[in-house]
Amino acid sequence: MSDFDPGRRRFLGHLGLAGLGALGASSFLSACASSASGPTTSNGSGAVTIQSNLSSPQAKEAMEKLIANFNAQGKGTASLNTIASETFRTQLPTYLTSANPPDLYTWYAGSVANDYASKNLLLDVSDVWKSMGDYPQSLRTLSTEASGKQIFMPMNNYWWGFFYRKSNFAKWGVQEPKTWTEFLALCETLKSKGVPPIGIGLGDTPWVASAWFDYLNIRINGAPFHRELLAGKQRFDDPKVKAVFTRWREALPYFDPKGKAYPFQEATTALLAGKTGMFLIGTFFADAAPKDALGDLDFFRFPIIDPEVPLAEEAPTDGFFASAKTANPTGTKALLTYLSGVEAQEAYVKASSGIVLPANPKAKASDSPLVVKGKAMLDEAKELTQFFNRDSSDALQPTADTALTKFLDKPDQIDAILREWQAGAEKVFKG
Amino acid sequence: MTATVSTTSVTPTRRRRRSARLSPLLVAFVLVPFAVESVWVFWPALQGFWFSLTRWDGMSPPTFVGTDNYVELAGDATFRGALLNTVIWLVLFGGLSVLGGFGMALVLQKERRGVGFYRAALFTPVVFSLVVTALVWRVFYQPDGIADTLLRAVGLEQLIRPWLADPQTALYAVILPALWRQIGYVMVLFLAGLKAIDPALHEAARMDGANAWQRLRHVTIPQLKGVNAVVLSVIVIDSLRSFDIVWSLTKGGPYHSSELLSTYMYSTAFQSLRLGYASAIAVVIFVLALAVILGYLVRAFREEA
Repeated sequence: MSDFDPGRRRFLGHLGLAGLGALGASSFLSACASSASGPTTSNGSGAVTIQSNLSSPQAKEAMEKLIANFNAQGKGTASLNTIASETFRTQLPTYLTSANPPDLYTWYAGSVANDYASKNLLLDVSDVWKSMGDYPQSLRTLSTEASGKQIFMPMNNYWWGFFYRKSNFAKWGVQEPKTWTEFLALCETLKSKGVPPIGIGLGDTPWVASAWFDYLNIRINGAPFHRELLAGKQRFDDPKVKAVFTRWREALPYFDPKGKAYPFQEATTALLAGKTGMFLIGTFFADAAPKDALGDLDFFRFPIIDPEVPLAEEAPTDGFFASAKTANPTGTKALLTYLSGVEAQEAYVKASSGIVLPANPKAKASDSPLVVKGKAMLDEAKELTQFFNRDSSDALQPTADTALTKFLDKPDQIDAILREWQAGAEKVFKG
Repeated sequence: MTATVSTTSVTPTRRRRRSARLSPLLVAFVLVPFAVESVWVFWPALQGFWFSLTRWDGMSPPTFVGTDNYVELAGDATFRGALLNTVIWLVLFGGLSVLGGFGMALVLQKERRGVGFYRAALFTPVVFSLVVTALVWRVFYQPDGIADTLLRAVGLEQLIRPWLADPQTALYAVILPALWRQIGYVMVLFLAGLKAIDPALHEAARMDGANAWQRLRHVTIPQLKGVNAVVLSVIVIDSLRSFDIVWSLTKGGPYHSSELLSTYMYSTAFQSLRLGYASAIAVVIFVLALAVILGYLVRAFREEA
């Protein structure tokens, strides 16, 4: 059992056990450790183990199908190990630093992957990329670390937008807004009809608020500034950042007041039930939507605020990376090659309910009008961003959660909030 | 003669040897748990002290920074908030569960018809894991949930608020389910204590004309001294290690308003990946717990002497 490997024990043990553990309260930590345990042993010729955080029923089934297909091909064997995503996220550093790590992991492209790569924890998968010549340059860049080798294999991406029900917009007699002014006017109309215009779900999922910050920032200050800010090269108490909140404040009266008490899944339910007008969210929210509602869903892009700023959209990319310490690099790369292929990506898209775009440009996305529209929006964008935590780090995300939920509650204190945010971010960057 | 001498000289040595040699089973019972504890408790605890003097992200090797983490703790507003909340938690959760548990035990100590049912009912929450408890209470607190419906039914709808998302109420909204659970547990401890009191003492007090309050004040409470020590330690330890209910209901939010030392330690370690700093928080929790418990033990021993 991996519970006994020294890496994990060191990581989990010293902390909780020093304080709480000495009081016999380590049960939650040991619970983490045991729930994360899995078949992590592998030898040169054995099965490639995949640690997957795709735990929603459809995604899990889709992954199982892919692995079964791969095993049937006879080019190697693989075994899937699905783990709840929160556990997966907190355990990932432990997996990667352990002496005998799982081989392959589902993860996100962006700074978190690059961070691991800079610590030499990720397998160089440049070989795999040689067979991926038709992938767009943007995805190749996203998968390449500082020294120029590829460490990531993208599987699919999705987009964020304002989702709404077509039937409700028709009933209320409103149209998709293009600009910020039109957007605020739309909000006013919906409010006058007694509908909270903007749904949000921050109860258990305060990170959803980061989408608002990301979008306002890339619409007002542009994607390059946004990336620099998230990389610690700009300050959160900069007047440019304050300008983001000045705009945001204009929309504050239109937020669903109940949104701060429930998670995004319930905000989804509220949207589908017509209790809110629209909802800025990623396409993954549709996992929780009943099938019959999917046909009625539509979305519009985050309204343009400054037409001078080059158009950027959030398009988080999901995929795989492998451990540098894998005992079976050949098998791992064979599996990655399979996963990057048209057949695997189409099979995944088909089996998963989510509205996702396959990373392989030859693989067909589902041809629903929603997906066609989403793909067109991303194709039109000059720049793609990932998401707050993917463009910065998981460690920075809690500082954003604190700052943004506080702003939504106490917009008057924005100067103090931004100062605190900057102080918190400096601590994270310092380590 | 020689034979006798040899036997007499041998017997004491054999006897001595027998008394010196412990049963291997007994040795194993001491040494095996000790070895396990050393690896899983003592060593990590010592390491925790060491890590609290370092900066560490959990992956790269830790770098020694001396007392930097403690200096930072001293000026950390979130830490101060968490410390204050932990004290509030200790007083409210601890105090109310002792009062509630003792009250319940007094009410339910007499054998009457159906009393077993009430005892069992009050103890039931202890059976559920706190995470399950949290799920149930979340439904209770959710917008338009049971709490809001109840308030509306009695005409207090102006009080309705997002209970877990309002920084004014989040901490108290989290204490309630923790109390709901703890009271049953404390009640059982006190019931056991009450059962152990010799009924003759009450009888004698009654003969002397003591009323119910005087009997409680001068007979019951002093007789419960032994139980009090257990209850107090349980309460202090449970308060300082309270984590699961807070984490599953609010994760310390909104914006740290229901943060306890334990949740702050966890989020610093596993979300912000600042393991050195989190170790410093863990050391503070450890010292606090030690101070409270040692303080109590010293007092208890002094009273005994």
